[in-house]
Order: sequence, then structure tokens, then C-alpha cells
Amino acid sequence: MKYQQELKDSIRKALPGLDVVIAWSAGYDPLHATPHFIRREEDIDRLEIGPFSVHNLATYLPGLRGKKVGIVVKGCDSRSVIELLQENLINREDVTIFGFPCTGVVDQTKIRKALGHTGKVDFCQIASQTVVIGAGGEEHKLRLSKVLADKCFSCQYPNALISDHFVGEKISPSAQTEGGDDLEAFENMPLPERFAFWQKEMDRCIRCYACRNACPMCVCRDHCLAESRDPHWLSQEDSVRDKWMFQLIHAYHLAGRCTECGECQRACPMDIPLLLLKKKMNKEIKELFQYEAGVDPEATPPLLSFKMEEENIKEREW
Amino acid sequence: MKIGVFVCHCGSNIEGTVDTAAVAAAAREFPGVAFATDTMYTCSEPGQEEIVNAIKEHQLDGVVVASCTPRMHEQTFRRTVERAGLNRYLFEMANIREHVSWIGKDREANTNKATDLVRMAASKLLHNRPLLSKQFDINKRVLIIGGGVAGIQAALDCAEGGLEVVLVEKTTTIGGKMAKLDKTFPTVDCSCCILGPRMVDVAQHPNITLYAYSEIEEVSGYVGNFDVKVKKKATYVDWDKCTGCGICMTKCPSKKATDYFNEGIGKTTAINIPFPQAIPKKAKIDADFCMKLQKGKCGICAKVCPSGCIDFTQQDEFVTEKVGAIVAATGFDLFDWTVYGEYGGGRYPDVITSLQYERMLSASGPTGGHIKRPSDGKEPKNVVFIQCVGSRDKSVGRPYCTGFCCMYTAKQAILTKDHLPESQTYVFYMDIRATGKNYDEFTRRAMEEYNAKYIRGRVSMIYPKGDSLLVRGADTLMGTQVEVDADLVVLAVGAEAAAGAAGLAEKLRISYDSYGFYMEGHPKLKPVETNTAGVYLAGSCQGPKDIPSSVAQGSAAASKVLGLFSKDKLASDPQVSVVDIKRCIGCGKCMKTCPFGAIKEIDFRGMKKAEVIETVCQGCGICTSTCPQGAAQLQHFTDNQILSEVNALCQF
Repeated sequence: MKYQQELKDSIRKALPGLDVVIAWSAGYDPLHATPHFIRREEDIDRLEIGPFSVHNLATYLPGLRGKKVGIVVKGCDSRSVIELLQENLINREDVTIFGFPCTGVVDQTKIRKALGHTGKVDFCQIASQTVVIGAGGEEHKLRLSKVLADKCFSCQYPNALISDHFVGEKISPSAQTEGGDDLEAFENMPLPERFAFWQKEMDRCIRCYACRNACPMCVCRDHCLAESRDPHWLSQEDSVRDKWMFQLIHAYHLAGRCTECGECQRACPMDIPLLLLKKKMNKEIKELFQYEAGVDPEATPPLLSFKMEEENIKEREW
Repeated sequence: MKIGVFVCHCGSNIEGTVDTAAVAAAAREFPGVAFATDTMYTCSEPGQEEIVNAIKEHQLDGVVVASCTPRMHEQTFRRTVERAGLNRYLFEMANIREHVSWIGKDREANTNKATDLVRMAASKLLHNRPLLSKQFDINKRVLIIGGGVAGIQAALDCAEGGLEVVLVEKTTTIGGKMAKLDKTFPTVDCSCCILGPRMVDVAQHPNITLYAYSEIEEVSGYVGNFDVKVKKKATYVDWDKCTGCGICMTKCPSKKATDYFNEGIGKTTAINIPFPQAIPKKAKIDADFCMKLQKGKCGICAKVCPSGCIDFTQQDEFVTEKVGAIVAATGFDLFDWTVYGEYGGGRYPDVITSLQYERMLSASGPTGGHIKRPSDGKEPKNVVFIQCVGSRDKSVGRPYCTGFCCMYTAKQAILTKDHLPESQTYVFYMDIRATGKNYDEFTRRAMEEYNAKYIRGRVSMIYPKGDSLLVRGADTLMGTQVEVDADLVVLAVGAEAAAGAAGLAEKLRISYDSYGFYMEGHPKLKPVETNTAGVYLAGSCQGPKDIPSSVAQGSAAASKVLGLFSKDKLASDPQVSVVDIKRCIGCGKCMKTCPFGAIKEIDFRGMKKAEVIETVCQGCGICTSTCPQGAAQLQHFTDNQILSEVNALCQF
């Protein structure tokens, strides 16, 4: 990543005034990065940004409230930061934001499928549009565009929307479609088919709640409805009904708040297309309120305000 | 918990289509139910005794009554269980009358549904907790909105009862529609002569503060403690100095201003006092017609005013009043009759409304009490009255009967003959509705002594013929078509909700029907109450009313306010939201969505938390559905209580 050095310099300058800077570094194999917490100067050298910087680090921010935190964000991550600011869940003066132009991140599931191999990866080289991966003694050549995350194809905001330090040149979005084809395909299904689709998908859920833990907007922490006994929303039965109920409530809680970072879906070990639910909710919100989450730090999310009469909900005509 | 279930027959109202004994038998199997029975009339005295006895005999600690709507008897039964020593919130009501027996005839299906509703109620009751209300102080002042006859009556009665009254009137004078009338039926006494003294009483009463030419901007608070922001609109005249001498009116060169008080019969000056008996008798400048305000040239009124009260720079002013109760007496407006193409749609100057005719009949009106055709100023010979214009007509969205038009039309027919002995009146009517005291005798008099020709039928067309109008209609009693040469046509225009009624209702948080008339608490038993505590109704804002009914309602509303204020403290409703401080993360979403400003931010050991102001909270539950943590819980409707109902119903 060509701006990596510039980013490191920028962090080096700001670090004395911060408790921690959250970035990425190399993970347990060449295919994975891991969140990297920079507390001392020597930690800075291990920072790495690039197509493996998949994690939305904004997830850590509410938990570090009260500390002076630096955070490196992609465009999509910056929307989560904005949404957290809007909802009064973090304080702007405590957060220092480092932005960079993002050209897309990989989808590990796609790579895994392409490799047909989940064991140890020996090396990985990315040269322009090609990914070369060595695994199990074999060399795999993949087109980068084949393994980028779906969200990157419809990305409208490749540059951080909010930042104190921005390294590199801002780039323009290369996105072709808005919303993505999966939502359109889903909406074209007749209702019984949609029902069957989710029944099948939700059946796989193992109730690990990785989706919730990865979600930057999930802030109930110890009082999540998944575990709460008072109110007792969900039973512990292994039923599609309870799994589905959780996901629906999660999606409802995120309506008009979700920034579509896709962490829920990325974190899901069962590959359930969870982002689809949230995209659908956001689409409805956008149609009703012309609102997109995490774009304007000054805006109030529509479901977090009360109006006697909404412009596009003509209650009087019901 | 030991629950007792009482399934009411309500005579045959419920028993007719629900097997109440079977419902009771099924209820005995529900978790927590220790006793269940069916009774003839649960709300009757023996019915209530049965509940009290059962509570004692079976040591019940919760009661379900399956009967009518809680709107009807929830209070009754809450008091019953309280009498037996239980907390009133350890009671649940299942509505098996309005929701079951009255809407379906299939006895088996009804019995099943009633059983389900009882199961839900019993299941919720298991999660109910005793709730206690708190006492709070009240502000014994009353706001009355609207200075028509109903508002005046309410204001005077409250003031006489020793209350401080704030009366807010939209126009520059009180008096309302009644002040515009010439005479009143059925006594034919002068309207302004009987209303005038009452208006003076309002002006002079030490307990009444009058804000004329003012409107309600904002209402916050709750019963006993409302904060009301009143907008005093700019009159461009300093009313503290204005003596109402009227010199400005005689000198004002802008003489083509719309005369609202005279319903557009004639014109008035840009600065004017609407009528001689106006209260307060103060001048106001109509900015739309004032040359000084429009073009910056003139200012004659300022030169001639002996008290120097003209102020062209005046702005709207806002005052805040604290009151404990509010009476809405905002009256009605006239239906816009020009939608009727068959009556000329407003094209013929000699087709006028009944209220315009009143102004013409009035000695203080623009014609000095002479009946003149607006077109040429000639006295009419044939005057045709058409009733039900914008009343009882579904095609214009006004299916209701305004109720007082039959009477004032008879009055106007009588007055026409008095004014013009040579004239002949014709009345096209649908039915005569003259149900008040001495009313029918009055309409008979119009027909028999004043020779008004009543024709039962509708008018299909009015068109000009020479310098008069030809009115063509049906005479349904004769089964023929009739044509009448009319010099003047008077339309008995129906009443509709006052302009802006809906907006005010939303500020007051009261509901209104599909025509904009305010909804009373109960059509029979709570005619002047609303469903918002501390807000009452008087007069035509609730539905069209004649003068006696409006006055009666004004007094009724006043008696309700005096009753409310007879206590020094009120009990708060404990069915409000409560924030669980352990769960609250201080994000403030509840504060943003609360429509009542009932949630404040507090500091708890250095952390931000939300706290509900109990007396301000109206229990709407928006915070409950907004709070993702489930920290805000509406008491008596907690997530657990509602979930238990859902789980009782959706079993699989």
C-alpha cells in the first residue's frame, strides 16, 4: 500500500497525545490481517494497510469511551464513526481519525472457495489486479476483482468521510450499482420463496453472536436481548424461530443506523447473508426519509427523532 | 399468584354469542388461575360483591374480568379489587364484548376467541406488579380558547367560581358568531343585546385576563400544570393606549379592506374596530390594506390618533401562561358553498349566505338593517331560502346535519316579513328539524303567521333571468317541478370545523373526527371531557350547536374545571415509563424521540443516564420502543408483560 509510510509518519506525530491508535497488522497467515493496537512507538512499524484490512475498527470505539483514541478508517468504517458520533456514543474530541483512500478489501470466503483449501497458506502476493497465493504446495492465481468483498463493488465512499489526518489522494468511487444485485434478486422473489430462503439460511445459525460482536452499532453490550432474561425476548431453544427473531430484531435496531460495513456477514462462521436483511431495511428507510446512515455527522437518524407529521408518511390519507 | 377470572354475560350482550361458562371452565386450566366463574352483570353491585368475596374466600391476589371495553369499566373494577385490598394494577380486563360478541355471530369461534383473550389477560397478570401513584401540586388557573358564547360562559362561570381565567381569542373581539347575529330564535330577541352585557362582564371581571387577536402557539405540560405559549399577533396599535374612539376609522383613506365581521357585505377601513360593542374596543390595522405598511406612504391614523397609539413597527409578541386546565371553545366556520355549481358557485351577487343576511338584517350592519340586493341595492320582493347547503350532503363530504339551520331560516323568514311587509318568502327544505323547546311552534309561526311558503324539495338550478334569479327545484310533496322568481337567494350554509381546528387539537393532544370536530371523552357520559386529562370542550368545536346548547356546554365545562380544582393535589398515573439505570448507556435516544420532553439527562456517578419526569410522561411508549437496551420500560406495559400476552396467543 503506497500510503503506508505516510500513514505511519502521521500516527507517529499524533501518538504522544493519544492513549492508543487502532490499525491493522499482519495476522496469523499471509491472507489475514488482525486489528493492531498501537500504544508505543515501536508498534507503529508493524502497521499494515491494504486489501486485507477488512475489519471495521470503529467497533472498538464505544468500549474505549473516555480514552483518547486514534483510529485508522476506510471509507465505509468512517461512516460507522459518524453514526456513533451522531448517536452520542463516542465523543468527537476524544477520537483522532486517520483516513486513507481505500481501493477495496478482500472477502475471505471467496478466496477460500476459490482455493478449495482452508489449511495453511504459505505466501500471498498482490500485484495490480492479480492475487497469487501459495497453499498446500500449489500456486493459485486469482483475479483481484473475483475476490473483493461485494460491498466494495457498490462502494460510494472510498475515502473517509470524516478524518483529522488524511493520507494520499482522494479517489472517486468506481461503484456501478447502488445497493447491489443480491438485494434486487431477493426482492424479486415471491413472498413464500423469501420465507423459505430465510428459513434455510437461519437454520444454519449456531447462535454464536459473532455478528453482534462485530457490529459497530451494537451497543447494548451486557443487556443484549439475546441473553436478557428481563425482558425475556428469546428462549434458548435451538429453533429457527428464535434465531430468526434475533436477526430480525437486530435488523430493526439497525434500521436507518446500519452503515452497511458488512461486519456481521464477514464475522458469521456459517456464511449467512446477514447484510441482506440490513440492506433491505436501509433501502426502506432511504425511500421513506431520504436518509443514509453515517454520512452527515450533524444529521439525526430518522428513527431517533419524533415528528408530529412525517413528510412521506401520509397518515391523514390512510 | 392466585388469579380469579370473572366472565361476564352482560345480559345477552356477550352470552348471546359466547359460551361464557365454557370460557370460565377453560380459564380454570390456565397457569395461575385459582378460581373462575361466569356472572350475569359483573359491573352490577352484586357482581362486584362476588369479586370481593371471591378474593377473600380464595385468597386471590389478581383478578381478570372478561367483559366490555376497559374504556367503560376498567376504573370500576380497579376500585372493586382495591376495596378487597388488592393493588388496582393487579387487575386485567379482557374485552370480549366489543372485540368478540358484538362483531361475530359464530358462537364456537367467539368462545374460542374469548378464551384466547382471557388467556392473554391472565398471562399478563402473572407479570403485573403493584403500582402506586404519587401526589402533585396543581395550578388552579384555567385557559379558555375561543371567546364565542361558549367560551364566554365558561370563562364567566370559572371566574365566578373563584378561578383565575385566561381567555384567548383569535380575532380582535370576543363575541364569536353570536355577535354577528341580528336576532336569536325562538324568542326573536336582539342577539347583541343579550350577549353584549356578558362580553362587558368578561372585560370587567377581575379574575379574567383576555388576550384578543392572539393564538395558541404551543402547549406543554400535563393536567394541573400546563405551560401555554400565546402568540399576541401584531395589531400595529398599542392597545394599552387605544381608547376605541374610532377617529382613525373616520380618517383612514384605505376604505376597501375586507370586512370580515360583516362577512364581506360592504367594505371597511384598513384600521378598524369591527363593531360598536366590540370587547376589547380596540383598533387594529389590516396590514394587507394599510398604505403605510404596504407602500410606506400615508400614516394618517398616526397623525389623527389623540392618544398616539399607532405603532407601525409592532411585532408579534409571545407570552407564557401557566394553567392547570384548558377548555377548547373554538367554535365552527361556515362551509364553503361555492362548490355548488347549481347555486351559481359564487357568480351571482344576489345569492348570499345566511350569515351575510344576518349582517344585512342587523341595525348595526353595513346596510343599517335594510335588506338590499348586493347587485343593485334594491329591496327584494321575493326572497328564497335554500336549506341544507353543505349539510346532509354526502356528495360534498358533509353527511351530518348542522342542526340549527332550520330554525334560523324560519327566523330569517319572519324577520324578512317584518322588514319588508310586501315581501314573499319561500323556503326549500328537506325536513324540518325543530326539536328544541318552543322550536316547532316557531317554525309553524313562520309558515302560518308570516306566510313563508315551505317547499319540500331540493333546488336543482339557479340562473339569472332579467335582473332577478330563477330558482328551479322540485316540490316532492306535490310531485312537481317548481320555478320561483327570486330577487334574493339566501343559502342556509352548514357548519364545519373551525379553520385550524386540527392544528390546535394536535397542540392540545386531543383527537378529532373525520370532519375536524373534537372528540368528546364519551358520546353520552363524558360530553365535555376529552381523552386528555385536564382538557375540556365547550360549544361547536365538538359538533354544531345552537346558542342554548353552547351555553350549557360552557357551563358544563366550567363545572368540570371547578370540580378538578376542588382538590389541592392530583394523583399521577403510575403507568409511565421508568428507566432502568443499570441498563441505560446514556445515548439519549429516548430524549430525542420523546414527544413530551419527559426525559431528562442526569449524572449518575459521573455517567450520563436518562430519567423520566413522572408527571410529564404520558405513557405513550415511544421511548420503550426506541431504547435498544430495553432500559426504558413502560409500567403496566413492560416488554415482559406484552411478551407474555404474545406467547399466550401464539402457542406452537
